[in-house]
Amino acid sequence: MNVFMGIDIGSTAIKVAAVDEERHLIGSKTGPTGSHFHRNALDMFNGLMAENGINQEAVAYTVATGYGRKLFREADDSISEITANAAGAREADRTSGEVRTVINIGGQDSKAIQIDPMGHVANFAMNDKCAAGTGRFLDVAARNLEIDLEEMGDYHFEAQGAPLAINSTCAIFAESEIIGLLANGHGKGEIIAGIHYSIARRTVRLAKRVGIEDRVYFDGGPALNKGLVAAIEDELDRELVIPDIPQITTALGAAVLAQDAWVQEQ
Amino acid sequence: MDAEVRKRPRLDRPRMEAKQVLDRLIDDFPDNPDAMGYFYDLFRRTYCDGQPDPLGGTAVGTLCVQVPEEVIRAAGGVPVRLCNGFHAHDQVGAEFMPAKSCSLVKATLGVLQDKAAAPFLDAVDWIVNPTTCDQKKKAGAMIEGMGYNVHALEMPPVKESEEARIYWQRSVMRFAEAVGDMTGQRVTGKGLRRAIKQVGAAQAAYRRLNALCRISPAPILGKDIFLLTNAYFFDDIERWTEAVERLNDELEQRREQGFSAAQKRSPRILFTGSPPIFPNLKLPLLIEQSGGVVVADETCSANRLLYDMVAVDEWNAYDMMEALADRYLKPCTCPVYTRNDDRKRRLLDLAATFGVDGVVYQAFAGCHVYEMEYRDIADTLGQANIPVLYVETDYSPDDLGQLSTRVEAFVESLKNRRKKAR
Repeated sequence: MNVFMGIDIGSTAIKVAAVDEERHLIGSKTGPTGSHFHRNALDMFNGLMAENGINQEAVAYTVATGYGRKLFREADDSISEITANAAGAREADRTSGEVRTVINIGGQDSKAIQIDPMGHVANFAMNDKCAAGTGRFLDVAARNLEIDLEEMGDYHFEAQGAPLAINSTCAIFAESEIIGLLANGHGKGEIIAGIHYSIARRTVRLAKRVGIEDRVYFDGGPALNKGLVAAIEDELDRELVIPDIPQITTALGAAVLAQDAWVQEQ
Repeated sequence: MDAEVRKRPRLDRPRMEAKQVLDRLIDDFPDNPDAMGYFYDLFRRTYCDGQPDPLGGTAVGTLCVQVPEEVIRAAGGVPVRLCNGFHAHDQVGAEFMPAKSCSLVKATLGVLQDKAAAPFLDAVDWIVNPTTCDQKKKAGAMIEGMGYNVHALEMPPVKESEEARIYWQRSVMRFAEAVGDMTGQRVTGKGLRRAIKQVGAAQAAYRRLNALCRISPAPILGKDIFLLTNAYFFDDIERWTEAVERLNDELEQRREQGFSAAQKRSPRILFTGSPPIFPNLKLPLLIEQSGGVVVADETCSANRLLYDMVAVDEWNAYDMMEALADRYLKPCTCPVYTRNDDRKRRLLDLAATFGVDGVVYQAFAGCHVYEMEYRDIADTLGQANIPVLYVETDYSPDDLGQLSTRVEAFVESLKNRRKKAR
């Protein structure tokens, strides 16, 4: 049996996915990028194979994506994370509907992708050079509030009434804003809801630039945060499709594109 | 100890920048045409080794593609275009300008404030500054404050009306009178005729090169086209023309041998918007490192600089001046004009004749006219079903990582469109 691997080397996390010839997901794995990203990437790659009993010889084609895509020489090819994300979103949602818009929030960037009816990228937008309103922003906020990143979703729903307005989406400036709000006696719930709405506003503005069409798919690590999902749904006035494992959509896309490329070569 | 201090490399950011970009431009691409060596060496001498070639005449600085260079040449002067592309100078110029202003204007101000900062400046006393966008207009007075003589070449805000044409013709006449003070030599009919022919020969060489770019697969990469048109800013015009003709000959030869610079299926890109000026070739380089190829451009540092020729009816001084003025007004597609339907027509025409798959639109952050014109241009291109990537950027290398992802994704999407079309 041939196996196709996709590896997404992001700024914060490395994601690996493996699919079979029918493009069914065999397994996936996520871990931190760290400073020894190449070693970590290899460990993750080999770890996924070991966990799923995949032999080296079975790997027919590997595609790398993400910021580290060009540095992973073990791959057969590399592709930008926008193309991979679109392919992954379509594949993940194939059984239930047709994805036309993808919103992705990653460790240091956010993207919106419009997919045409043929499944190709029609248009896309990315945030500009700073990491405002990305996963890193949530990271910094969680650290300020002394809570775990995973708890942020629950705190969101504890907020009463209108959420606080957080004006800054810059991770650096928001830090002092959050400290100021805490000093004024505001609760963590209110602050977190404010943070989520501030990211949501920025993200939806980005998505509107490419044009929003149903179905809207939301992925990347921050999609695990139910509070943020709710905030974006409010801002967008639409329901979002959240995949089971939102971090690996792009890696899955790379794996699917690996299978594509392999078929074409045969 | 002293000896060791002296041995340390000297920190010179502009040179570091120039070297880095030239290395990328040359070494990252295999099989560069041999004739490009002339231009690579020229830039190395001028910007990396600090040994620019002598200008061969009285230098007159220009700050825009709209300055009729023939007038300067007719008075025995040598035009040197001072529009600057260095990030290091941009940072210096930021001191003179509001935070959200154009990198090109900032870098130009930044370089001008120190005569030792860049090649040729020590030879420049006069600078001709057309009254184009607000930032360039207001920069004029600041440049005067830096100790240069500035001639404000008045430009009308529209170009269709007869009033605008007359206004501009008079402005060019006034410039022709003033240029005598700059070079110490009057403009004569004979001088004008010689200058028009000299520039015409350079343009003919460029046009031959431009026509070669219509071929698929592309015989030359856009990064080389931008570099050699940038060389026209300061290089000896006759030597430049010969070098371009040599390149043309080589490209034709290569073509006969079935050799091309781009792959058969490389998406063909039309580059428009804010001008790439050495060493800020960030975006063209990214496009071509991502597998696209820039086959055509609509920018004032390349195509707009050299494509349109002066059309003289009668070779007398008055007619020549009129023809010159018209050439610098009518075909210009700069977004400073109130209406700019010509730019849309030009883009559609370039897209069709060069077999373009997609357009990359560069807008320097703070360049309001290019930023504002984008929507209209995007609509026009959208109606013609031509995809466009809009990139707002500046001279800083901060956004390289982000940009490479965006540009690669755009190139990939153009490849997929082709698959779909088949």
